[in-house]
Amino acid sequence: MSGKLIAAASALIARPDIGPALVIGGETLVSLAMVLALYLLARALRLGGDVRIADKAHAAHLAEAAVTGFAAADITLDRARIGALVRNREGRVLLIRRHGARFVASELTSHAGIRLDRHTLTLETGDRQFGTLTLDLGGEAQIWAASLRRLGAQDYAL
Amino acid sequence: MTSALLSDLAQRAAHAGLDIVPFAVPLFVLAIVVEMVWAARHEPTAYEPGDTLTSLLMGLGSTVSGALVAGIIALCAGWLYLHRVATVPVVWWSWIGVFVLDDFNYYLFHRTAHRVRWFWASHVNHHSSQHYNLSTALRQTWTGVFALSFAFRIWPALFGVAPGMILTVGAINLVYQFWIHTEAIGRLPRWFEAVMNTPSHHRVHHATNPRYLDRNYAGVFIVWDRLLGTFTPERDDDPVRYGIVHQLGTFSLGTVAFHEWAGIARDLWHAPWRAKPGYLLRAPGWTHDGSRDTSDMIRARWRAAQGED
Repeated sequence: MSGKLIAAASALIARPDIGPALVIGGETLVSLAMVLALYLLARALRLGGDVRIADKAHAAHLAEAAVTGFAAADITLDRARIGALVRNREGRVLLIRRHGARFVASELTSHAGIRLDRHTLTLETGDRQFGTLTLDLGGEAQIWAASLRRLGAQDYAL
Repeated sequence: MTSALLSDLAQRAAHAGLDIVPFAVPLFVLAIVVEMVWAARHEPTAYEPGDTLTSLLMGLGSTVSGALVAGIIALCAGWLYLHRVATVPVVWWSWIGVFVLDDFNYYLFHRTAHRVRWFWASHVNHHSSQHYNLSTALRQTWTGVFALSFAFRIWPALFGVAPGMILTVGAINLVYQFWIHTEAIGRLPRWFEAVMNTPSHHRVHHATNPRYLDRNYAGVFIVWDRLLGTFTPERDDDPVRYGIVHQLGTFSLGTVAFHEWAGIARDLWHAPWRAKPGYLLRAPGWTHDGSRDTSDMIRARWRAAQGED
């Protein structure tokens, strides 16, 4: 290590002649500018892209990744492939949706908050972070809406 | 001449602390730019602009909150040093010793941060991204001081380690951990992977795959995991999925920073009295009624399905 480098490091430790508030304020503003520049660069480079659920096998894989041991028995895909409903043999249903360049899943535990409108199903999982999702399921919308009405009903039947 | 300057630098760093993090920031930015260009050419989904913005703002917020409460840590470390039972000399070998000791303390902190919900609440934000790139390294906590995580690092002051030395080696430790948050680097030479924490080892740490949950807690030296039975190597037949068991599904800063604290508050409010301490001190995912899963439960279920012991 050269003497000049050590001398520079020594001088920098002290950060002399300016108040700590000014140092923190200045560093924060510069850092904020860098953060925005990196964000804009990520957008300019078109990073992230437009991810979709490729097929039912992909949806099954996403469900298993979200809930260990979740074996898909029945799957329906949104026509734009931005979301899916996946049911296992025990009747548990996972709602999968896109989140940026990845996917997230949440379990539907109740039929409350599920609305059918011709070919679309609007679903609320009860998880505020997950939010509400509308899936265009085509002709399968009514079939799934009917089956989802049983969700939560088992609890009362026991 | 050089050795005199170096000695002077070491003494001043031991006295006042040398925080190299601000000086490393330009290198961080440059490295992220390089990785973004790599991603654009090879793996565009390795980055997501919204996720990157959240990670970087978490890093910025962590720096600001850290600066605001740095005095508390300095005060605690200073008090311990004032009541020290011995004095560690500031010489080259003590710097090496303190660096190794601090890295072991980091391992203890990090393991606890994954196994005790109180500390997990502060640490979880670092794992909340479903991406694994250099910006993820900067997704740092805003509530570390509130959680008292620094207690794991400052105790050597009571045994005579100058607080400035602890701050200096801690900063070097943090800077080292930046470059291992990448998918752009595969495996490094075997001797290096054997001793040092590497991108491969740390990818495992950020995984949600049952095989990888709560493994590889190391900061700089992976030997702590190897010695204490928490090491798992990355496998080509089990590609890493990143994030947390229950993915957040949002880029909201407030949610990323505080969601687990809010979860603790909700659980404490609803739980019976005898169960309340468990929601603070037991593993993340623990519930008194078994309605959620800990990482141990998830791994056990997965092993049973795989036919493993």
